[in-house]
Amino acid sequence: MPETAIDTKTEAQLASPWNVVVHNDPVNLMSYVTMVFQKVFGYSRDRATRHMLEVHHLGRSIVWSGAREQAELYVQQLHSYLLQATLEKSEGC
Amino acid sequence: MLIRKWKKKAIEFSCIEQIEAELLRQVPACCDPDEGSKAEARIFPSPTNTSDPDLLRDWDEYVRPELRHLFRSAKETVEEDIGSLKMKVGHLGRFLVPLEHGEPWLSALNQARLILAAKFEFSEAELSALDLPKTFSQRELVLHQINFYAAIQERIIEILNTGEDNKPSGESA
Repeated sequence: MPETAIDTKTEAQLASPWNVVVHNDPVNLMSYVTMVFQKVFGYSRDRATRHMLEVHHLGRSIVWSGAREQAELYVQQLHSYLLQATLEKSEGC
Repeated sequence: MLIRKWKKKAIEFSCIEQIEAELLRQVPACCDPDEGSKAEARIFPSPTNTSDPDLLRDWDEYVRPELRHLFRSAKETVEEDIGSLKMKVGHLGRFLVPLEHGEPWLSALNQARLILAAKFEFSEAELSALDLPKTFSQRELVLHQINFYAAIQERIIEILNTGEDNKPSGESA
């Protein structure tokens, strides 16, 4: 039984989510940012627009959360579209 | 200048004035940030706001070279397309951009705008200002250049998103 408990904890640590955060940039066009979110994450136009507006009004938006490796890949893709994106460990983990 | 979809396979730039041709030809040259400059830092931002030496090292070693290659490739595509623009005295110019070059064009225009904005340190207020400038310094002209490239980007995005074909319109970038 104790072994099972340790395994579960380790698994939970490994699965700690990472956030992909996009930061506001006055140069990137709103239509361009929306298009990039649709292309990179496959989001609907509505969801992509919501994230774009969050970036625009709040300065940042968590556009995706999940495994670190995938998050790194998304940040790389966003950089390839010249968006300012960073990888952050999700708070509370 | 008119920008519209042409025969479902290209983006047509037509009715191009001399000054517009000159600004288009400047796009590739604007895509080269000086080494160690703010512009270069903007084109290749850090992937994290925290200290993560392993991630930063891997990013420098593997990701940046790939991004550099991608940006250079987009710039070269635009350079090649603009090469087909021949201006004759007294005539307006025209050239075609294959639809599959739409994304490289968006990338090169974005690179140019980001680099110019970083180089001339434009504020968010300046970039979103709708007022006409009161002076005509080099800085003001560069702001016009950034906005000209933005208008072209908007038009290309519209064409790529809507699939519009040969729409007769007076919309200009």
